[in-house]
Amino acid sequence: MAQHNLSTVVSFEIGRTLSKRRFWITTLIVPVIIGIVVALIVAANSSTDSSVASQKDQKFSFSYTDASGIVDPALVQKLGGREAASPTAAIAAVKNGTLDAYFSYPADPAKQATEVYGVDTGVFDNGKYKSVATQVLTLSAQEKVGDTTLTKLVQGDLPVDATTYDSGGRVSAGVAGVIPPLLFLAIFYVVILLLGNQMLTSTLEEKENRVTEMILTTLNPTTLIIGKVISLFVIGIVQMLVFALPVVIGYLFFRSSLNLPSFDLANLQLDPWQMIVGALLLIGGFTLFTGTLVAVGAIMPTAKEAGQIFGIMMALIFVPFYAVTLIVSDPSAFIVQVFTWFPYSAPVTGMLRNGFSSLSPVEAIGLIVEQFVLGIIVLRLAVRLFQYGSVEYSKKVSLSVLRSTRKA
Amino acid sequence: MDQGTTEPIVRIQNFRMDFGRTTVIHDLSFDIRAGETFGFLGSNGSGKTTTIRALLGIYQPTGGVLHIDGRPFSPEQGSRLGYLPEERGLYKKESVIDVMTYFGRLKGLGKAEAKSWSLEYLERVALADKATTRLDKLSGGQQQKVQLGVTIMNGPELLILDEPTKGFDPVNRRLLMDIIEEQKRAGATVLMVTHQMEEVERLCDRVILLKNGTAEAYGTIPEVQDQFGGTTVRLRYSGDIPASGKYEVTLRERNYAELAVMEGVDEAGILRDLIEAGLTVRGFETSKLSLDDIFLRVYGEAAGGHSSEAADGHHGEAAHGYSGEAA
Repeated sequence: MAQHNLSTVVSFEIGRTLSKRRFWITTLIVPVIIGIVVALIVAANSSTDSSVASQKDQKFSFSYTDASGIVDPALVQKLGGREAASPTAAIAAVKNGTLDAYFSYPADPAKQATEVYGVDTGVFDNGKYKSVATQVLTLSAQEKVGDTTLTKLVQGDLPVDATTYDSGGRVSAGVAGVIPPLLFLAIFYVVILLLGNQMLTSTLEEKENRVTEMILTTLNPTTLIIGKVISLFVIGIVQMLVFALPVVIGYLFFRSSLNLPSFDLANLQLDPWQMIVGALLLIGGFTLFTGTLVAVGAIMPTAKEAGQIFGIMMALIFVPFYAVTLIVSDPSAFIVQVFTWFPYSAPVTGMLRNGFSSLSPVEAIGLIVEQFVLGIIVLRLAVRLFQYGSVEYSKKVSLSVLRSTRKA
Repeated sequence: MDQGTTEPIVRIQNFRMDFGRTTVIHDLSFDIRAGETFGFLGSNGSGKTTTIRALLGIYQPTGGVLHIDGRPFSPEQGSRLGYLPEERGLYKKESVIDVMTYFGRLKGLGKAEAKSWSLEYLERVALADKATTRLDKLSGGQQQKVQLGVTIMNGPELLILDEPTKGFDPVNRRLLMDIIEEQKRAGATVLMVTHQMEEVERLCDRVILLKNGTAEAYGTIPEVQDQFGGTTVRLRYSGDIPASGKYEVTLRERNYAELAVMEGVDEAGILRDLIEAGLTVRGFETSKLSLDDIFLRVYGEAAGGHSSEAADGHHGEAAHGYSGEAA
């Protein structure tokens, strides 16, 4: 009967959510907004590309003075410029519109600013003066060096492939090894942010609608809550798939327009230990947060009052990011240890440290045990609060109520 | 719920319920036999809803035994129970048929069976055209009908109705009473909390009167009437009523009096004594105290408006259990 009722609860909860127009409107708003943003970026990028190209090719009259001696007059002439007789006259010509621009190169362009004066052609179009002034100096410098490779090296524009070895002499994965375990952290955030409010209000509905007594006499409260959590998870997956759709489309068809980096998934390195730890921290953290949110929902009389606690819970999953630099660079720091072991900041901190390989096996096992044990305790408490507290329809339930209703 | 055994279908023994430091039910014991209709009476705050919730496992009792069909209630028995709570409601954003089907399935019916039963019931209570309507779009009375349907789904053997007529108009109240009687004829045992004494006298085989968490009276209606003063003589007369150990004059007007008959005294003997004492007797009627009178006598002013559902005020009863008062 319990098994039958679990599937009944799950199908009822999923069915009534997915059949709601409001669910689809709120769910589709995200991909629609993403789609609009993508379209705008694509349009803006193509317009920027053409704008840059046109700026590059733009011809305008300019003059210059060069205190550094770097600028090549022949090059300037090719670009349509000429040397100015005097800075004052050149600036006056720009002011009265007979000259488009004047560049004043200082004695040491590396330390001193090059001054650019130009006729105003609009905020965006004015950029052409700076581009040409820089181009003149860069090309002149290249000519002086006489070798484009040397010029690139001087500019630091060079590819580097690094290989590092861990304590066991194995090649460490680098970023390619950090990304896969951090995916669990991303999933944790998405799940909690998407479903947290629904977890909180999942049992409030029974309370607010006075359904609790009817439900509790036909259904085990554990079955009801587990059924609700399962259905929330399924609904969350549906939402994630809907949200992911425009991202996948964007990556597959508009990668270059969106300036998305090209990932070669084959480069990603999956460390089995890190992946297992990440998965267990995700499940344990999910259990703890779910149990806590359901328990809060069982205590609070209305969604509005429960919402205040929800804000605190959400803050707790972002708090570790205030110390992310320390988490990555100095895991033994006191604040990192606090975040690592405080139950509600532990999932995020643990998954971050796991991703950056700074979580020792002992710490990982300790954290997983902490999350699962506390998660199960809190879930049981949530069931009990729902069972004995939710008939207090219009009141906030205190934990002392539970003590007073325990069997003598 | 085996009705063939001698074990009562509901057995409550030495039930005690504490909320914090306050004891709201003291050593309560009674039972309900299979097939009977049992009236659970009491003023607001006397402990009726608390007792039902403890019986159904919603509250954990502090002490005592609360059994349904020989064991503590568990939701697995819910398929044979019909419970209409005092604080009632359903999933308001869902359609009538979806909610009824859901509860039908929870009570052990198949999906198709639950749906067809629900449609049949809606037809009967003139709500067939509302099957796909959201519950919150129905009137209060229509929602009550749906709730009642959910309660009696799957032919429950034990019906627990906590103020079933609360919020019902006279037409729907009649319908409700018909359905209860129908369930009773089908063999259901009914435990009914109500403040409507006429309903109790008409429907109930036995009653219990609860006051401040203890039983003030318990038994069949005649037994309870006997317990509260037994017989009253309404006398129309001329002359002086003589003093007697056989009765007590509880009301004396110019030509009318009421005499409370002492236990075990024969009313005919009183009449004979009065005539022999020279009293001119123009009318001599004996009657038992009505349940309404008994209710007033037990609960006095505290019962304030007990026969009016509008004044029932049981939101307080449900809500103040934890503040130290009996629910």
